[in-house]
Amino acid sequence: MKAKERILCVLKYIFLAFCVCIAIFPIVWVILSSFKTNAEILANGVSLPANFSLTGYKDALTISPILNYFGNSVIITACSTFCNVLFLAMAGYVFARCSFRGKNILYFILSLAMVIPMTALLHPVYSVIQKLGLYDTKTGLILVYTALNMPMSLLILRGSFLSIPKSLEEAAYMDGAGFVRTFFQIMIPCAKGGLTSAAVLAFLNSWNEFTFALVLTSGQSARTLPLSLSYFTAQFSFNYTALFAAVTIAVVPSIVVFAVFQEQVVSSLTSGSVKE
Amino acid sequence: MKKRWIVLAMTGVMGLSLLAGCGQAKENNTASKEKTGTDGVITINYPTFQCGVNTAAPVVAQLIEEFNNEYEGKYQIKLEEVPGDANYVDKIKVQLGTGDLPPVVYGGGYNLLDLALAKDLVVDLTDTVNEDAEWKELYSEASLTTNSRDGKIYASSVEGSVVGYFYNKELFAQAGIEAPAKTWDEFFEQCDKLKAAGITPLAMDTAESAWVTQLWMGAMVATSGDAGLEFMQTMNPSDYSMPEMIAAAEKVQKMLQEYTTLDAIGGKYENAANNFLSEQAAMIANGPWMIGDFSDESKTTADFADKVGSAIYPDGFVYDAPIQGYFVTKQDDPKLEEAAIEMVKFFTAAHAQQLGLEMQGMVPASEAVEITDEAKEKYPLLVDFMDQASEATVRSDNMQATMYSNLLDVISQELPRLYSGELDAQGFGDALSTAAAKNQ
Amino acid sequence: MKVLKANKMWIPVFLLPAVMLFLVIYAVPLGMVFGTSLFDYRLNAQEMTFIGFQNYARLLKDPDFFKALSNTVIWILIQCIVHVALGTVIALILYKKPKGWKFVRTAYMVPNIISNAAIAMIFLNIFNPQFGVINSFLKAIGLESLTHNWLMDGRTAFASVTMIWVLFAGYTTTLVLAQALSIDESVLEAAKVDGATPFQMDIYVVLPLLKKIIGTTMVMAATYMLQMFDLIYITTNGGPGKTTTNLPLLLYGVYKGENNYGYANTIGVVIVIIGVVVMTIINKVLRVNEEDY
Repeated sequence: MKAKERILCVLKYIFLAFCVCIAIFPIVWVILSSFKTNAEILANGVSLPANFSLTGYKDALTISPILNYFGNSVIITACSTFCNVLFLAMAGYVFARCSFRGKNILYFILSLAMVIPMTALLHPVYSVIQKLGLYDTKTGLILVYTALNMPMSLLILRGSFLSIPKSLEEAAYMDGAGFVRTFFQIMIPCAKGGLTSAAVLAFLNSWNEFTFALVLTSGQSARTLPLSLSYFTAQFSFNYTALFAAVTIAVVPSIVVFAVFQEQVVSSLTSGSVKE
Repeated sequence: MKKRWIVLAMTGVMGLSLLAGCGQAKENNTASKEKTGTDGVITINYPTFQCGVNTAAPVVAQLIEEFNNEYEGKYQIKLEEVPGDANYVDKIKVQLGTGDLPPVVYGGGYNLLDLALAKDLVVDLTDTVNEDAEWKELYSEASLTTNSRDGKIYASSVEGSVVGYFYNKELFAQAGIEAPAKTWDEFFEQCDKLKAAGITPLAMDTAESAWVTQLWMGAMVATSGDAGLEFMQTMNPSDYSMPEMIAAAEKVQKMLQEYTTLDAIGGKYENAANNFLSEQAAMIANGPWMIGDFSDESKTTADFADKVGSAIYPDGFVYDAPIQGYFVTKQDDPKLEEAAIEMVKFFTAAHAQQLGLEMQGMVPASEAVEITDEAKEKYPLLVDFMDQASEATVRSDNMQATMYSNLLDVISQELPRLYSGELDAQGFGDALSTAAAKNQ
Repeated sequence: MKVLKANKMWIPVFLLPAVMLFLVIYAVPLGMVFGTSLFDYRLNAQEMTFIGFQNYARLLKDPDFFKALSNTVIWILIQCIVHVALGTVIALILYKKPKGWKFVRTAYMVPNIISNAAIAMIFLNIFNPQFGVINSFLKAIGLESLTHNWLMDGRTAFASVTMIWVLFAGYTTTLVLAQALSIDESVLEAAKVDGATPFQMDIYVVLPLLKKIIGTTMVMAATYMLQMFDLIYITTNGGPGKTTTNLPLLLYGVYKGENNYGYANTIGVVIVIIGVVVMTIINKVLRVNEEDY
């Protein structure tokens, strides 16, 4: 018994270590490459850089307006994530709890959005945004990103509202709370797990989104981080060092935010849950 | 209670409308700036991919500064960076669809002129050019072919595309080769000699558009006789199954299989360039823009530039054609069109071409433009190559510039199959012909 | 009574933002996509001419389409099964909070945070036949005969490309883990008291409670494969031949190469149809839409 348990335990840790290795490998590779010369990057996959020079970072900052784009990304991603989660929490709650005519059909139609290919949407969305006068504005991108993450958030949030027992709301109504108050003060705190998952996904999608950012912006006022990568390769010239430096600049803060955010999630999840 | 929620909602709505308002205001500002500025200055909005690490970036930046100084108070160019060649092409295509192109478009090798012409959005420059002797002088026969349609001039070139190949003199010496090959038979003999000396003869690629590989293929077709040369000089050809093409494909198959690095298959231009720059391959077909890389210490060793020699292709062939130039698009405001024409003239004048030559070693489009002493000092290899090119007897544009755009993908997808033998040369040619037919 | 009336008033208000967004960004554009697929709509033509279902007829005769279709479906299957299973297994190990679980949780998510362009370049390097990690490793342990041009050899291309995304199940793990952690302690206690081993607990108690979220991740996996584009584009661009082409890549090729928007949108319509079918199947099988209580 005990021996078998021990072996399983060891295997489990080896498996986890393996997973961590394959997960960490890309980011380590990127960071190391940001210190190598172009020749080194293209010559050998896993060598250590000869000198740890910061030329890559200097180049990244001079070749592209990366800090400017970083600021834009922060604003656009934060706004769109907030709006997205708020709107879809509201909608998800209604789908989970209320019944009205055409509910299932409406839900089905809204979740259809998930399978529509982005490339096909590009042209039409561009026309729509232009007609609304939102071309090359942060608002335009915020609007599009809020919508792009809609199906995913809807799925997650509706699911998480469905799994909260009705007894909570019934108790709230007994106490005389209205629909809105119940929603904001009771349901939202209970659905924190789902809310955070949806927020994390929306954040990551918006942070890394490239195609719409390219088409819907032209100047420096609304451009986002992923666009900065295009500065580093052209048809006949390339600067991989600067490229990977830019990738590092883009990624490291979001990993930090993610790690910190996850802490909050866990602490809220494992405290004060539903007690039957 | 309810009140609190209403307050929240109202704040939310106000916040959103503020944002929207800001967006509107900004948009209105840029829109009004597009037409006429606050003090009567006409602003030309110029998006371009010649920014970032693109070779032409510093040249364009300087030309903009000079133009803005010369036309101060009258015209102003506002640069918009669209990094990444493909991104620029996509953007122009999207704008073609909605009909709001920027006043000046430079495709630089991507055939945007025909697309814009199909929508009748290009301004006819024939009269303007003919009335201006200086400008007219810069148009060679080849330039007129590239930039005109139906006898009407639509575009003006600034850069020429003169392409041969580079070789590593040291590696050649190691294999006992003295000079670049004069015939194709000699060329393949040299490849064998290099191989025997343990050196990989060629740096090639298949990804993206297989630029390096298709240079060899095109050179073989062009020198295979009149039919081949005619093919290379035709715009948008549709028959890739002709015998000359098949013969070239067969030779390319051999080159991929025996004379190049393993990572050429699936390799991008960067891989090919790196193989040459790190002395793993002895030859690379490419244009003079690569010369700058030979002295770039982040890409190669310090003394590499001294080891490089340039050559034209066997049978006296060199790629020599002006790159399709800047064109002006139809705008609502006739004054803006005027300004745009001035800009195109400025950006393709002799001075601009010389600037490109001196700053970045970019070959001028017109032969009328002299190669200055400054350029000769800075780029001896370029001068040497141009001398050789002037001796060439056969010339044409490269295949990538003349083929239908959907063929670029097909080439990169089918070359690996040619290499593995899944496709034979005939099959390869047929695949290209089928794809070309889709454009009918 | 009073409560029900209040509900009715708020329903449209709560739904309004989401529905508005949907209409503006999805419904209208989708309508345009459906509509234009019935036209001969190209970039280099002045007019759009109505051609009915000709684009669809052309699609059904196109061998490239069937190859892309089968690749897409196979990838959806692999992703829904392998990828989701991997993520779930890791989540099941982590929710018991073994040592260092927080670190593993964050680390495993990292690849999903890096932009796909960078991931693609990394794997181009790993699979490089000349100096890539895999071939170098094989040579080092004496198995040089096994070296391949992983991404460009018709036999290994498909599998190699799949490796790029199948192993990074960070999203799945995050979602399933979040749900697993919020399972009430008392339920797990009760099971332990009944004498269940950890393994039995996982399979018979925890997994059923996670069915819904696993269904969600399956839908996510399927739609991810239906949209998968940049990772393939940067590494193999669908090659060699059409071995690694999927429907989005095909769409993009038509869009860019032929400038034939009508035909490209036809492919788009097919993608939407497949997506609807897949989503319906997954929802039905896992009964994702029903309530827990």
